[in-house]
Amino acid sequence: MVEGVVELIKGNFSDVEIVIPEHQEKRVHISVEKEKVKEIAKFLKDNGFRHLSFITCVDWIDEGKFELVYGLYSYEEKIVVLIKTKIDRDNPKQETLLPLWDQAQTYEREIHEMFGVYFDGNPGLTPFILEDWEGIPPMRKDFDSRKYSQITYDSEAK
Amino acid sequence: MLESFRGGKVARWFKGRSMWLLHFCTGCGAIELPPSMTSRYDLERFGIIPMASPRQADVLLITGYLSVKTLKRVITTYEQMLDPKYVIGFGSCTINGGMYWDSYATINKLDYYLPVDVYISGCMPAPDAIFAAFLELREKIEKGEANGYKLYKIHYERYKANQDKVFKNRGIIEGED
Ligand code: SF4
Repeated sequence: MVEGVVELIKGNFSDVEIVIPEHQEKRVHISVEKEKVKEIAKFLKDNGFRHLSFITCVDWIDEGKFELVYGLYSYEEKIVVLIKTKIDRDNPKQETLLPLWDQAQTYEREIHEMFGVYFDGNPGLTPFILEDWEGIPPMRKDFDSRKYSQITYDSEAK
Repeated sequence: MLESFRGGKVARWFKGRSMWLLHFCTGCGAIELPPSMTSRYDLERFGIIPMASPRQADVLLITGYLSVKTLKRVITTYEQMLDPKYVIGFGSCTINGGMYWDSYATINKLDYYLPVDVYISGCMPAPDAIFAAFLELREKIEKGEANGYKLYKIHYERYKANQDKVFKNRGIIEGED
């Protein structure tokens, strides 16, 4: 049950913000400091949330922050827990989750390529999906995708 | 004698009735091909069958959006095919970028980079539209108007320049450093 999960987290961690989104009663969103992510993830992993379903990143450019979102799933409870944390946009660094889940590699590598976030302790942040890309990471909000598309794809070479 | 047969009306009639496909299934539109090929609509009635190798295919079917990365492979594939060869651009994405028109990753107009003989509009085109396109291509072949592969050779410099434009300096917006 969701309440059980909320109790569990509240009982073990003090300064976390927990939200159960409306109309999605099988979900729990928790916001934490970036230093706490690994600790909470480890705790949840030991308590049934064995599956890391994804890691993703949101660019809050006006705030000057990147938000990392970790999705964990429990097969027994059938509940998704999202761990959210905001990191500095100018110095985007976060500790890797590789020691906990091997599949974190794919997500961290992708986020590194698409947003330019560094994951401390991850040795494999090499080029991934983009080919011959020389600009800034394209999923950052300050990369003007529309302008790039217009200049590059809407006209012929001179 | 043989030469005139090859380029002649009879040969074109045959060509139009044995179009072998290389379907380069890039985008979502490819999902309409199985119904077109299987028993309900049965493309084979028109002599159209899928081929495994570019060397044996006559028609390159590009079924949707093309990222620049894929475009590279498509061009290689196209250049491996033997003459006469035709290109069908499938869906709005190949015509003007479709719903990916402002994406940094996908091209907008396929005919900057490859000569397209027939376009099919729609997102995604239904089997009827696919048939209409093949019949149009057949007509063009019979009339000797489907000359994209010749234009590709004549205007190769222009196509090459367009291709290089998207392959080089990726991610750099002109005028900014
Ligand atoms: S035209 Fe529509 S169906 Fe076809 S590839 Fe583009 S988005 Fe997909």
